[in-house]
Amino acid sequence: MSQQNTNESNARADSSPDPTDDEMLIQTDVSGSVSSSGGPSRRETVVSAENINVWYGENQALQDITMDIPEKSVTAMVGPSGCGKSTFLRCINRMNDLIDSARVEGDLYLRGKNVYDDDVDPVALRRRVGMVFQKPNPFPKSIYENVTYGLKIQDKGGDYDEIVEESLKRAALWDEVKDQLDESGLDLSGGQQQRLCIARAIAPDPEVLLMDEPASALDPVATSQIEDLIEELAEDYTVVIVTHNMQQAARISDQTAVFLTGGELVEFDDTQKIFENPESQRVEDYITGKFG
Amino acid sequence: MAAETEHGEIEGFGQVSRTVGTVFRYLLLAATMFGIVTLAVLLVYVANDAIRPLTADSGWYLTYFLTLVVPTLLVGAYVRRRDHAAFSFGAFLVGLLVVSLMFSGGVGLLVVDVVPPLVALAFALGLAIPAAVAVVLTRNSHRISFTTRLVATTLAFYLSLFGLPGPIGDAAGLPQVVPSFVQFVQSIPVIPVDWMMVAAVVGGGSAAAVGAYVAGVRDARAGLYAGLAAFGASVASAVVGPFVGLNPVPAVVVTAVALVPTATYAWRGAFGEEGTPVGLVFAATVVGGALVGAAAVEAFGFAGPQSWVDWQFLTSSHSGSAVDAGLYPAIGGSILLMSTVAALSFPLGVGAAVYLEEYAPDNALTRFVDVNISNLAGVPSVVYGLLGLGVFVTYLGRSAGTVLVGGATLALLILPIVIISSREAIRSVPSDLRQASYGMGATRWQTVRNVVLPEAFPGILTGTILALGRAIGETAPLIMIGAPNVVFNLPTALNSKVSAMPLQVYAWSSLFASEDFYTKAVPAGVVVLLAVLLAMNSVAIVLRNKFERTG
Repeated sequence: MSQQNTNESNARADSSPDPTDDEMLIQTDVSGSVSSSGGPSRRETVVSAENINVWYGENQALQDITMDIPEKSVTAMVGPSGCGKSTFLRCINRMNDLIDSARVEGDLYLRGKNVYDDDVDPVALRRRVGMVFQKPNPFPKSIYENVTYGLKIQDKGGDYDEIVEESLKRAALWDEVKDQLDESGLDLSGGQQQRLCIARAIAPDPEVLLMDEPASALDPVATSQIEDLIEELAEDYTVVIVTHNMQQAARISDQTAVFLTGGELVEFDDTQKIFENPESQRVEDYITGKFG
Repeated sequence: MAAETEHGEIEGFGQVSRTVGTVFRYLLLAATMFGIVTLAVLLVYVANDAIRPLTADSGWYLTYFLTLVVPTLLVGAYVRRRDHAAFSFGAFLVGLLVVSLMFSGGVGLLVVDVVPPLVALAFALGLAIPAAVAVVLTRNSHRISFTTRLVATTLAFYLSLFGLPGPIGDAAGLPQVVPSFVQFVQSIPVIPVDWMMVAAVVGGGSAAAVGAYVAGVRDARAGLYAGLAAFGASVASAVVGPFVGLNPVPAVVVTAVALVPTATYAWRGAFGEEGTPVGLVFAATVVGGALVGAAAVEAFGFAGPQSWVDWQFLTSSHSGSAVDAGLYPAIGGSILLMSTVAALSFPLGVGAAVYLEEYAPDNALTRFVDVNISNLAGVPSVVYGLLGLGVFVTYLGRSAGTVLVGGATLALLILPIVIISSREAIRSVPSDLRQASYGMGATRWQTVRNVVLPEAFPGILTGTILALGRAIGETAPLIMIGAPNVVFNLPTALNSKVSAMPLQVYAWSSLFASEDFYTKAVPAGVVVLLAVLLAMNSVAIVLRNKFERTG
């Protein structure tokens, strides 16, 4: 069973000839978070969103998003520009709090704890949820300092040399930079910078790794390196990746969520199912390139 | 139809009139050059009056032409063609030497006439010891809580500077139980010689800076050696100084402030990574040419220009006759005022800028403050003078015309400029970096301290120095707060009367207006003022170029 959040207005606007649309809606509401049992994955749920709505000022960016993200796998979010997939990603570590006009409603659970509860410090939350951004953004500091930044601000002890080596190895960057750890992170190439950002994000050992179109600013070779890396990281981390590259989602993700214009989550299922036999006509149209 | 028109156009390219565009372009060029050219003409006249280049012997010119100009042009052209980077390095080295010599003059003035060496030493030690405590505490920051560190650091500074119980005890009627470290140093009966104390303070500071710099470039061991060598050079100069006609104290200051940093830069530029030793040849040609020229002029007995800007002008105070008048108390006053202004406006301005850019929510109050800071930057300086008079003199009861009141008034004057330029610098830090920092789970303070401020610092510093440049030329606020027109001694405390260079020039051209002062003292004062201003601005420009983000 796939999880659908299709509201009435979209159903009308849509040419999808699905007569059971209303029934599906009711069904989803009833099943709620139970959907993880029969949903896209049988792994334990790490992040669970319930009826997340986001507004930027007057504009609603996300509508009633409900989805469960299983651990130690790659969850891809695809959709056309402006469909709210990045917004949803930023809801998970509450980066939207930094935008004055953004308003978030609904519940989002990280391992059973609602991160929008009053007693949750977003700073503490972000220490458990790493993030990699679209454009490589290493600090204008040495490679070593870039990787240890998270450890320092979190006052984490430990053998920094060892952690730096470990993180850079995991980010498949160690062999290229091991002799120039004291040189600026900005001297690296774009692909290396992005891998440095990944190493920086995983150095403090987060539970979830969010990636916002991590390869969109990179050339094909660097992109494929990053993709290989993401697949490897999924063995240890829960990776949530936003991309608008269909092939990339198909290649690397275990499950895929399709967002469409207006900020609705149209379909969320195993990647194979989404790409071979989507439930929704709109998803099929989008995936086959009829729009978006 | 459309195709035909296109065809027709291609056949005959009509002449499109560009006359208006050309006229407009040259009008714009004229507008651009108007101010610069007008000012340049004025400066030529002023410089001619002040320096009087026509009074020199032709032999003097010929000597310098042969020893300085010709070799500089030849070697310069050769080096520049061979390696442009080496030429820039050499030229910058010469500039650094000149500017740092001027700064060493300022520092020398402070240690010779303003702060007694013993007091300087006492306060330097009194600050160095708690600073060392602070460094040790920060090193162990993993184990000690922030509050403990803050309290311990504050206490260390307080004890060292004020003793126990100090002012708090005074208020309670208690005598000072434990004298401060500063007092302790000052009460030591065996007082070392002046130059030793100056060498310890100025030479020690300079050596520490050089050592830290070299340690950053190479490694800790090289840094240690470089620091020791620099300190050794400062001490040695005191011994060598008298043989070349310099007193030990000025010799130490010149070595520590000018020669040691220049030598460090020369070492780095010539023998560091991607060093260009050829640049040294160029710098040596210029400096050597000047020295040889001076020696030759001396030997042949050629007279140089009868400049009004001479040693006498720089080192004597006002006098009734223009020929004997000097700018010394005003130069010292300006330096002290600038130090006060910098100490007051930098933390306030940067603090305000950080708050407005990083913390302030976007609400009505913030927008109100926003608009009014821009307004404040445009308020006439005479109004700030009135403000200073009203607040500091009348309301707070400080005596008029002192270093503290003048410095505080000028600090208020440039505060909006410092805030605006600091905000500009902070805003230019890419938001990607902030996002990255917040995404790692950094607090706002951690992001500001680790990412925003280091990245914005060069810009903040540049803006502050340019703002100080404005403050150093202000006359009206100083008149308003009652700064005396004529001061015969350097102010030795924060509450002693102060004059400043522009004020002295103004006094010469108004109170003592006579043909003599107009043609001698005023131009000379203007030239000195502009030279100091240009030196400050050149530092700002160099900082900006050096730290400009490359890619």
